[in-house]
Amino acid sequence: MLIFHHVIKQFDSIIAVNDLTLKIRKGEIFGLLGPNGAGKTTAVNLAVGILKPDKGYVEMESIGSPESRAVRAKIGVATQALALYDDLTGQENLDFFGRMQGIGKLQLKERVNWTLDFAGLFDRRKDRVKTYSGGMKRRLNLAIALLHSPSLLLLDEPTVGVDPQSRNAIFESIMHLNKEGHTILYTTHYIEEAQRLCDHVGILDHGKLLALDTVKNLIDKYGGESTILAEYEDREEKIQTRQPVKDLEKLMKRGSIRHFHMESPSLEGVFLKLTGKQLRDDA
Amino acid sequence: MKVIWALALKDIRILLRDKFGFFFTFFFPLAIAILFGVIFSGDSGSSKIGICVVDEDQTEQSLQFATALDSSNALEVTTCSREEAEDLVRRGTSTAYVVIKKGFGEASQHFFWGDPPTVELGVDPARQAEAGMLQGILTQSAANRFETLFSDPEIMNENLNLARDSITQSTKFNQEEQSRWLQFFNDLDWITTQQQVTASEEDVYQGVEPIRIENVDVVIQREGPANSFSITFPQGIIWGLIGCTAAFSISLVVERTRGTLIRLLMSPVGRMQILGGKALACFLTTFSMSIVILLIAFFIFDVIPASLPMLVIALFSVSLAFVGMMMLLSVLGKTERSAGSLWSVLLIFAMLGGGMIPLFTMPSWMRTISHFSPIKWAILAMEGALWRQFTVREMLLPSGILIGIGIAFFMIGLRMFRWSAE
Repeated sequence: MLIFHHVIKQFDSIIAVNDLTLKIRKGEIFGLLGPNGAGKTTAVNLAVGILKPDKGYVEMESIGSPESRAVRAKIGVATQALALYDDLTGQENLDFFGRMQGIGKLQLKERVNWTLDFAGLFDRRKDRVKTYSGGMKRRLNLAIALLHSPSLLLLDEPTVGVDPQSRNAIFESIMHLNKEGHTILYTTHYIEEAQRLCDHVGILDHGKLLALDTVKNLIDKYGGESTILAEYEDREEKIQTRQPVKDLEKLMKRGSIRHFHMESPSLEGVFLKLTGKQLRDDA
Repeated sequence: MKVIWALALKDIRILLRDKFGFFFTFFFPLAIAILFGVIFSGDSGSSKIGICVVDEDQTEQSLQFATALDSSNALEVTTCSREEAEDLVRRGTSTAYVVIKKGFGEASQHFFWGDPPTVELGVDPARQAEAGMLQGILTQSAANRFETLFSDPEIMNENLNLARDSITQSTKFNQEEQSRWLQFFNDLDWITTQQQVTASEEDVYQGVEPIRIENVDVVIQREGPANSFSITFPQGIIWGLIGCTAAFSISLVVERTRGTLIRLLMSPVGRMQILGGKALACFLTTFSMSIVILLIAFFIFDVIPASLPMLVIALFSVSLAFVGMMMLLSVLGKTERSAGSLWSVLLIFAMLGGGMIPLFTMPSWMRTISHFSPIKWAILAMEGALWRQFTVREMLLPSGILIGIGIAFFMIGLRMFRWSAE
């Protein structure tokens, strides 16, 4: 669906994206995981064609470069920044951005109502955006990306600054959209989001793609061993293992375990292993 | 074009919802225009020149002269002492003072020799524009007195008898000179008497008229604005234009910092369309604001444009210039705060260009500097259409400069334009 082929993008002396090669398959949710400043937003901007690669190319399979307006019309973007007009109502924002997408007058009304309903904002559609909560603004931000029924949806950190209820609502919306056939590129620095939503995950740091696979394969490959902490009456024992169930049985045979804790490998561990640092040290 | 319209309408809608911005775009300029219009027009609604009259002669003639000045529609006369008069002019309370000097009355009786009646005129140096007008009114008043004396046969005869006596008693003239003067007065006397007997009703004798001075009403017949609002409304519009320009340049900066510009770029819309929409919104707002304010001026304050086509040309070029300035200011301000402070740039232009105080009150070196202010040309273009009665040729200069400024500033802004705050 979307291909990055050895893409390099540099701003002055900073290499924002360094030889990025990846392919997002049709119908999947692809997660781009990395800390702030890793190059995720630059990758999104390259994907939507507002930045040109210094080297390499980005293209939508069998359609062409997103620098072309026709290709851009097939992409929907929910930007990281809440790019909304506060003095317009939710409905007016959708109406305006719908016109920018070239949606016809008759279809526009229908699409605006659908997206308002989808984002759970129908009742507040006539209120100015400046009266919305952070979560409502995020949902409207996502709704704008959906107005023109894009085949590819780019969601750049869509849950930043959102309360847990709104976050769940956004997750459900994304999964619903994916079931309806939308291909989604999802950037985040929240590991649990990538783990919960994404079919494939690319780990990005300093503009470089460090690993790319399914979540399971990444954990298997880079996650390391599970950790078991067993508490006996008189002592504690901690072991690293690739066969946690079997090794737990062995531990039980050594004495009466009062309490135990098992920690499976996660993407956090994968990231730590690949980069040598915590993912959300500055988040 | 649909996209550009949608972009423009969005900006206009946002501006109208911003009560603060709307106030500075429409109400503030109107308030400025009306307030200064009322101040400059005075209580009676006319622009009279305030003068002090000092009568040092205290004769019948000097009193008549002072009364003549007082009856002028163009003057607001107060009577005071010389010290008071000088002080009032020094402090700027009065525009000028007129001292009717000792001997005025006696000199008024000598038509043919001796020094003429003399007045002293002191004018506030900052009000030189009114000085010429004032001299005209004084000359006119003196001429009126002269005409009255000569046109009345009885007064004429009386004066001729006085003149004969003066000549006879004078030691300055020799016998031959005395004889020639007396012959001249006798001839005048004969003409006066004969004309009274033979002239028809319509052709009644008008007396000796040494100089004919047309009874010109300087206030009405001079080329100039019909009233003070014709001057203050263009200035008011300038404030509206400044408000619009600042509002739109700030809105561009806000769009950049909040990411809506980037979001627009992500849609299938061209960069020039996006900026074109912003420029169109600014143009439409400035143009319609000017029209609305001028309609109020027309219907309520009797500001009647000398030429509608010229007014359209003027407003078009003025709006274009301010669109260019909006674009340039939007790239100079990186943050919303710095963009907000760019008002000061426009204020300096307004200050130099006559947007705050009329150019004619400025010293000549400041008037030279004013050529570099777009505000000066904007006011000139609007005044040209409202009351200066500019021809197309005369309008070419200010309009050409304004259009040039608009295009140049827009291109510079376009070149420096940044879509993202980062």
